[in-house]
Amino acid sequence: MTDIPLENYRQWASTPLTTRPIYSVVIPAYNEEWRIVPTIGAIATHMSSLGEPWEMIIADDGSTDSTVELVQELELANVQLLIAEQNGGKGSAVRRGMLRARGDIVLFADADQSTPIEQFTALKSLIDEGFDVVVGSRSAEGSDVANKSFLRQVFSRGLNLLVRVVFRIPVADTQCGFKMFTAEASETLFQRQVIDEFSFDLEVLYLAKKLGMKTAECPVEWFDAPGSKVDPFKVAIEFLQNLAVIRWNDVRGLYKSANHELPAKAPLAAEPTEKTKTSTAPTGS
Amino acid sequence: MQIEHLHDAPSNSSTLMLNGRFDAHETDAFRATFDGLNDDGIHHITVGLGDVEFLDSTALAELVRGMKRCRENGGDLVLSSLSDPVRVILELTRLDAAFTIN
Repeated sequence: MTDIPLENYRQWASTPLTTRPIYSVVIPAYNEEWRIVPTIGAIATHMSSLGEPWEMIIADDGSTDSTVELVQELELANVQLLIAEQNGGKGSAVRRGMLRARGDIVLFADADQSTPIEQFTALKSLIDEGFDVVVGSRSAEGSDVANKSFLRQVFSRGLNLLVRVVFRIPVADTQCGFKMFTAEASETLFQRQVIDEFSFDLEVLYLAKKLGMKTAECPVEWFDAPGSKVDPFKVAIEFLQNLAVIRWNDVRGLYKSANHELPAKAPLAAEPTEKTKTSTAPTGS
Repeated sequence: MQIEHLHDAPSNSSTLMLNGRFDAHETDAFRATFDGLNDDGIHHITVGLGDVEFLDSTALAELVRGMKRCRENGGDLVLSSLSDPVRVILELTRLDAAFTIN
């Protein structure tokens, strides 16, 4: 018996897209040599099983380990690997990935699979209902959070309360690394986004509210991934500083127009003809 | 992750059926069960991965460790009924060539 999802994956892995992808999945990666390959495998299998053309974008953030080499060696036909010369912060990596995405719907997902890719469909159903931005949430009713430390829970709740009061953003969990956008919303928001550190999520949600975009929260499963590079104290201080920065940026008019140019999108592969055999396109920068 | 243990006395072999996400949070429980079987002289162990959606690198390393321990004692760790994501993860990490897979 043919395993259709597995056949879909093998097709995706070996044959470059000749039509524009429906979905793009952006994975920011900084020194993820220990985690990136299983994550790519899980995401690629699930996304291919959906039966629509899709692409994966690995946005390296100046990794100094073998993350880049590992991704290159996989030689997956529909992975765009964006290599950064130096570490610029998660916000910069996500922005580069989102602005290079070609899909109608764009998801960014953390490299540790802390939110399993199986949650994709739940977020997409809200995009289908007309939302521009859908935020995976560990705080919304129905979410399932495993192994999150008490300290991280305290910080999350405190900071999110502050966000609701100060910015009036009706999102209980601004920092979950699993967010989905329509292509139009993604390009509009990430061309304006300027914060390169972890608080870029907050800035993007602030901009979405400011620009009148429809934003929804979707409860997700979440597993605390061991080896997290997040230092709760450092992130909390940075987060508070960035709250002030975002306000100041807005007051001085920084968000009135794009702050980053839209880069050229990667071309699609030519349709194979009778005489030309499609060869595997290696991942490239 | 849940671990279900099935023992076949005539062949002195065991099957561990795993269910859920096999990551670094689960390796201690897996190791305790696995090493317990080896300590009891059971070195032919099948690990069923049909209901596992995700394996991280720590879990892969744990399976390699288990395979080595079984083989050192004249047995083997066999992976069976792989889910699609597990099969792809093993292929991408090239560990499919290292394991006996049913």
